[in-house]
Amino acid sequence: MFKNYLKIAWRNLLKNKGYSIINIGGLALGMAVTLIIGLWIHDELTYNSYYTNKNKIAQVFQSQTFNNKTGTGPAIPLPLEPALREGYADNFKYLMMSSWTQTGYLKYGENSLSRTGNYMQPMAPDLLNLEILKGEKDGLREINSIMLAASTAEALFGQVDPIGKIIKLSNEHDLTVTSVYKDIPVNNAFNDTDYIIPWEHYTSTREWIQNSLDNWQNNSFQMFVQLNNNLTFDGVTQKIIDIKKNNDEDVVQFNPQIFLLPMEDWHLRSNFENGKQVGGRIKYVWLFGIIGAFVLLLACINFMNLSTARSEKRAKEVGIRKSIGSQKGQLIYQFLSESFLVVVFAFFMALAIVLLSLNGFNDLARKEITFPWTNTTFWLISFMFILFTSLLAGSYPALYLSSFRPVDVLKGTFKAGKYAGLPRKILVVLQFTVSVAFIIGTVIVMQQINHAKNRPVGYDKEGLIQVPTFSQDFIGKYDVMREQFLKSGAIVEMSSSSSPTTRIWSNRSGFVWEGKPEGFQEDLAWTEVSSEYAKSLNLKIVEGRDFSRDFATDSLGVLINETAKKYLGMENPIGQLLRDDSEEDPGPPLKIIGVVEDMIAQSPYEPVKQAMYVYDRNDNSSFYNMRLNPDQSASQNIAVIERVFKENFPDIPFQYEFVDEEYGEKFASEERIGTLSGIFTALAILISCLGLFGLTSFVAEQRTKEIGVRKVLGASVFNVWNMLSKDFLKLVIISCFIAVPIAYYVMNGWLQEYPYRVILKWWIFAVAMLGAMAVTVLTVSFQAIRAAKSNPIESLRTE
Amino acid sequence: MITIKNLKKSFRTEEVETLAINNVNLTVEEGEFVAIMGPSGCGKSTLLNIIGMLDNPTEGSYNFASHEVAGLKESQRTQLRKGNLGFVFQSFNLIDELTVYENVELPLIYLKMGKAERKQKVMAVLERMKIAHREKHFPQQLSGGQQQRVAISRAVVTNPKLILADEPTGNLDSKNGIEVMNLLTELNQEGTTIVMVTHSDRDSHYAHRVINLFDGQIVTESKNREIGAMV
Repeated sequence: MFKNYLKIAWRNLLKNKGYSIINIGGLALGMAVTLIIGLWIHDELTYNSYYTNKNKIAQVFQSQTFNNKTGTGPAIPLPLEPALREGYADNFKYLMMSSWTQTGYLKYGENSLSRTGNYMQPMAPDLLNLEILKGEKDGLREINSIMLAASTAEALFGQVDPIGKIIKLSNEHDLTVTSVYKDIPVNNAFNDTDYIIPWEHYTSTREWIQNSLDNWQNNSFQMFVQLNNNLTFDGVTQKIIDIKKNNDEDVVQFNPQIFLLPMEDWHLRSNFENGKQVGGRIKYVWLFGIIGAFVLLLACINFMNLSTARSEKRAKEVGIRKSIGSQKGQLIYQFLSESFLVVVFAFFMALAIVLLSLNGFNDLARKEITFPWTNTTFWLISFMFILFTSLLAGSYPALYLSSFRPVDVLKGTFKAGKYAGLPRKILVVLQFTVSVAFIIGTVIVMQQINHAKNRPVGYDKEGLIQVPTFSQDFIGKYDVMREQFLKSGAIVEMSSSSSPTTRIWSNRSGFVWEGKPEGFQEDLAWTEVSSEYAKSLNLKIVEGRDFSRDFATDSLGVLINETAKKYLGMENPIGQLLRDDSEEDPGPPLKIIGVVEDMIAQSPYEPVKQAMYVYDRNDNSSFYNMRLNPDQSASQNIAVIERVFKENFPDIPFQYEFVDEEYGEKFASEERIGTLSGIFTALAILISCLGLFGLTSFVAEQRTKEIGVRKVLGASVFNVWNMLSKDFLKLVIISCFIAVPIAYYVMNGWLQEYPYRVILKWWIFAVAMLGAMAVTVLTVSFQAIRAAKSNPIESLRTE
Repeated sequence: MITIKNLKKSFRTEEVETLAINNVNLTVEEGEFVAIMGPSGCGKSTLLNIIGMLDNPTEGSYNFASHEVAGLKESQRTQLRKGNLGFVFQSFNLIDELTVYENVELPLIYLKMGKAERKQKVMAVLERMKIAHREKHFPQQLSGGQQQRVAISRAVVTNPKLILADEPTGNLDSKNGIEVMNLLTELNQEGTTIVMVTHSDRDSHYAHRVINLFDGQIVTESKNREIGAMV
């Protein structure tokens, strides 16, 4: 029986090639979108799947409240470690301190590389599930040891066995390679940990860390834990939440809370708002999931509409089958088998589309998704997906077609009832409601990105590069290097800074100034800079003056931004002092010498943070900021800079970043979302139009006789076009009026997340509506004009 | 075989109620060949559809082979129809997407008959109807007469007790029409009961009995003296 059904289905497909192409093509597009989104969602949801104990691993987080605003992050103070080990050791299988992932220069023989890695405590290989390929598992026991990821070991040593070899770290420390571990795969935390060095090495070689051993207020470290079995993250959090308050009275005013963020939340649910966990990337998983479901629904609607529109053609068959003994259930089964066949074809076409577009999609989404050919679960899910789509697309046509009464259809007098077309109309309205809402959504996302992109950044980011200087070798050499680079002609100005131009790496509190309100808990961005910082960035001085080499006292000078001026409540800030209020070893007071324009260093969607730029007395910067010579090409300039750099630091790899590109990264996430939703919107519209195209040709065919009679009676091509188009246009207009309020509500909610946001203007909605109507008219017109131009004699003769 | 008592069938539209069959009483014996005649709109096709269990009467009783049919659900009617009834239509009503063989095979598939047995039965009936050489053709590739022979093949392949023919020669030329009527007569002579709706006086002469309907009521009933006079 099934064979018989498939045979009929196959012959029907061949007989109506046009509709088959629209049906299968539309479904294939829809399924391809859903498949790609499915692969993306799978990739997102399986983040960190490398870690077999991921349901027991957590990072220690901290919330603190300044001026009623609670900030949350993974930075914790050093004394937390002994406090947890002493009082709560039985909760943790492992408790591990770690540095931030940082750039290091690794050198072996003539070979030198720049790689990112961490300083970690000896349990790292166990906690991180490292697969040791060579050497010992216990590779962090000795203070001067280093463990290398396989790719890094190969890049540094080639075919030579690295175990026991000595490499130089940042041209300072000799470290012995103790083991090589398999690279942590992409789509996992610590994927960029190319090397691990003992924590003890980190703490013993840095004076500031030694000074922080008892300091509960220096939150500059990370801690990871693995819980003992049978313990929950919430349970342990409840035990340790007040540990910081209980250990240091001075911090009580900030209400610090220590808690565990489970590994399963790191990737998708790591955003906090005023101390509350508010999701994160999970919203994109939902967003794309919804888009995928809608696009599939649109494609299924095409199938439903085209199948039911063709019902009159299938009615006779239904009648015959019923008269010779077919039960209704058998007919339902038959029509579902047909939709199954179509969906199977569409699925294989969708697979081809996915394979062809996966690379492009990966580039767009910054993913490394591979097609899971050998994954049986994938094929099982695909089979379920085919069944689900067959049911979704086929149920309504199957129920509708199988309900015909044989008496009506066999007499040849069958005509669909007055309201038979109503469900089809509702489905078209649903399709275009979704499409119009998608158009509006995409336009608003793009607008918001452009709005933020056009926001003045406060400095000139074009022609500016930053060169990392993460080595002791650079200490004390700034002036000499500046002179050499200037002399080379490649740059017109340069400065050094402790943070990149596009980020804030450090925040400070603990200042006293004249007029400071009682109980005010300040929090300022802190960057140490050289004299020419404002000049090299073209950062405008709005009050006072820039640092000057002519004033020796400028070494205790500070520039603040306009927001800081308001924040500190200073009407005349120039000359005012910011004193360090710590009791032990207070630093010298800093004198405000100038106010600079606000520059965006954090999110371009947020207000600029109050910032201070302090003179770098120790010449211990992390970046050189270079303003390239505008009279030469950038590549020429960079070649010269590299030559000068190599002459002075032959053992350190030369790296640079264009500041405007780095700044552009701030939009990357939104831009990706914008581009992807743009593509999905275009596909959604294409699918909807395919359906409309099919429906129009059907209506034109159904009304052939009417068109013929009208033409004989004097109707023009325009009259006929108008008659056919207007019905569809009406439906699209209804869709617009449903879509606009929904889109407004959703997008307005989305925009609320951005303090710096575009104002929704009426014309966005008008353009989307007009666009949808224009697309409708174009789609419908092709068939309508063809029908209108046909010879009436032909159409009347067929009757 | 068929006993119909006080049968009524009305159709209701938004404005009017039309009585298509009005108090019809009719008995058809096993092995009979009955023709139903009457002008267009007199209710003959409606009566045939009720006899063929494609439709339910509004009132009255319809007994088929000791089963009361009136009031049965569609699924029950389908069950009773299966294998007992064969239909021949004026417009042949073959499924365009199936070949001659597949069209004839279809009722046997619904009877869940095995493949080998199906093949044997289909080929036998096609041979008998002299259309076996066209078994792989699609309906559109056949003449009207050939299509009707396929339709008759399909109607008889299950060996039904009753064949219902709705103007079986209406779309055929006279030569093909005569051939079709001869086939039906042959089947009747072999014991199949036939109820046929027709406009054609000539065709009605093949029947044992002619019933005339007018405005939904039986107005005359006559017996043909010379059965198969035109053969």
